[in-house]
Amino acid sequence: MKKTIQIPLGSQHISLLEPIRFKFECENEKIIGVDADVGFVHRGVELACTRSFEFKQVGYVVARVCGLCAITHSLSYTLAVEKLLGYVANDRIKYLRMLMVELDRIHSHMLCLAHTAENAGFEALFMQIMADRELVMDLQEAISGNRVQFDFIAIGGVNRDLTPELSALIHKNLELLSDKIDTLLGLFDNNWSLSLKYKGVGVLTLDQAYTYNALGPLARAAGLATDVRVETSDFPYEALGYTMVLESTGDIHARNFVRLREILNSIAMCRNIVDNLPSGEIQEKTKGKPSGEAVVRVEAPRGELFYLVRGNGQNMLERVRIKTPTFSAIPAMMEVFKGSEYADAPAILASFDPCMSCTAK
Amino acid sequence: MRKIETTLPTLLADIGAFYEARKWHFLSVNGIDLGEGKIELQWIFSRYGIKDEIVIYYALSDYTTPVPSVVSLIPSAFMGEREIVDMFGLTVEGALRGLYLDEDSLPHPLRGES
Repeated sequence: MKKTIQIPLGSQHISLLEPIRFKFECENEKIIGVDADVGFVHRGVELACTRSFEFKQVGYVVARVCGLCAITHSLSYTLAVEKLLGYVANDRIKYLRMLMVELDRIHSHMLCLAHTAENAGFEALFMQIMADRELVMDLQEAISGNRVQFDFIAIGGVNRDLTPELSALIHKNLELLSDKIDTLLGLFDNNWSLSLKYKGVGVLTLDQAYTYNALGPLARAAGLATDVRVETSDFPYEALGYTMVLESTGDIHARNFVRLREILNSIAMCRNIVDNLPSGEIQEKTKGKPSGEAVVRVEAPRGELFYLVRGNGQNMLERVRIKTPTFSAIPAMMEVFKGSEYADAPAILASFDPCMSCTAK
Repeated sequence: MRKIETTLPTLLADIGAFYEARKWHFLSVNGIDLGEGKIELQWIFSRYGIKDEIVIYYALSDYTTPVPSVVSLIPSAFMGEREIVDMFGLTVEGALRGLYLDEDSLPHPLRGES
């Protein structure tokens, strides 16, 4: 039996944005075993949602689970409560919610791509992508009032409407961004540093994707055709130009490409939403208190976000179950690490786009 | 959403007969405190490529009965099993406490009497 050594990665590490600790068991440079510790930022959100806040306040609590995908948390919770109240939003509200979710996907994917570039030692590209990302951050701020933690969605509607000036700004910024993403596609595909670093590295096979229940861009990069946007009927994604982006190689390069192409698809959908925004109120009255059990799935930037809400007709809910994409992706991540070189671990980890704030909640 | 009742002794047989990795996406293990020392345990699945098809297997139990692990059928389930060990103070075969909680944390925060 060969001698093995244990090497930790995290909880604080130069390549990590958020705290997670992997304990790698290595044979020379090769990882042969891995253990993950994910609970560094546990805040007891599920407990707070049923003990400290009434159901009308919980939407604002769950938006604080994560700074990157706050909008998908508040949307998932709101949809679950609306189901329990028997309320169905009008088309204008649905479109405005979709707009914010897709803008959120664009900025989150860009953050991951920037971080991926940084891990290849491409500091200039990291800064360029982060600068370009400001086009979307500006839109989010203009629409919702905040760059992050935007409490845009509320039970029965949304809190702000689009004005003609905002619509024009969305078109202008997304057109600029679209050109920049086209440039990035060429760069990520052909640049010597990025190709050498990422092609064939950190491979998740299709079989592994099924076995370990991979989700989101991680699954689609391995060829697993799954996306909550077409597996639920809460929003008319197909009518607004949704196309599923699939790759087959399952490596870091494929994950980068899925995100880049999804950004282009999200830009196209956002333009369609603005051009075809239905008329209607942005806030409607809902009656009653949540009673029964509802489940909701929303495609967050990292994959499926799942909420289960149970109420008993009172102001306080009985259960708010939050299952986040990174939490579900950890088993698949651990498999990808096995057999990889330790030196590639930071880049592989960044390509998963892990969100520990969501995971530990 | 379709809910199917199961029991802890028959859980592995029921989920083993139902679950196909290429057909069903395993979503989560969940627990819901029912009060008076009772809990509803849930194993939740969604269907790939089909709209709105969710299946929940559920079993009613108390907090002292050990819960069988489904990891032999669904390798990714270990995360959810560790979570319910932490949050509800359950015993799940092979699942260690400490995914989220520290030594000095509340022992089982999502139990009704906590």
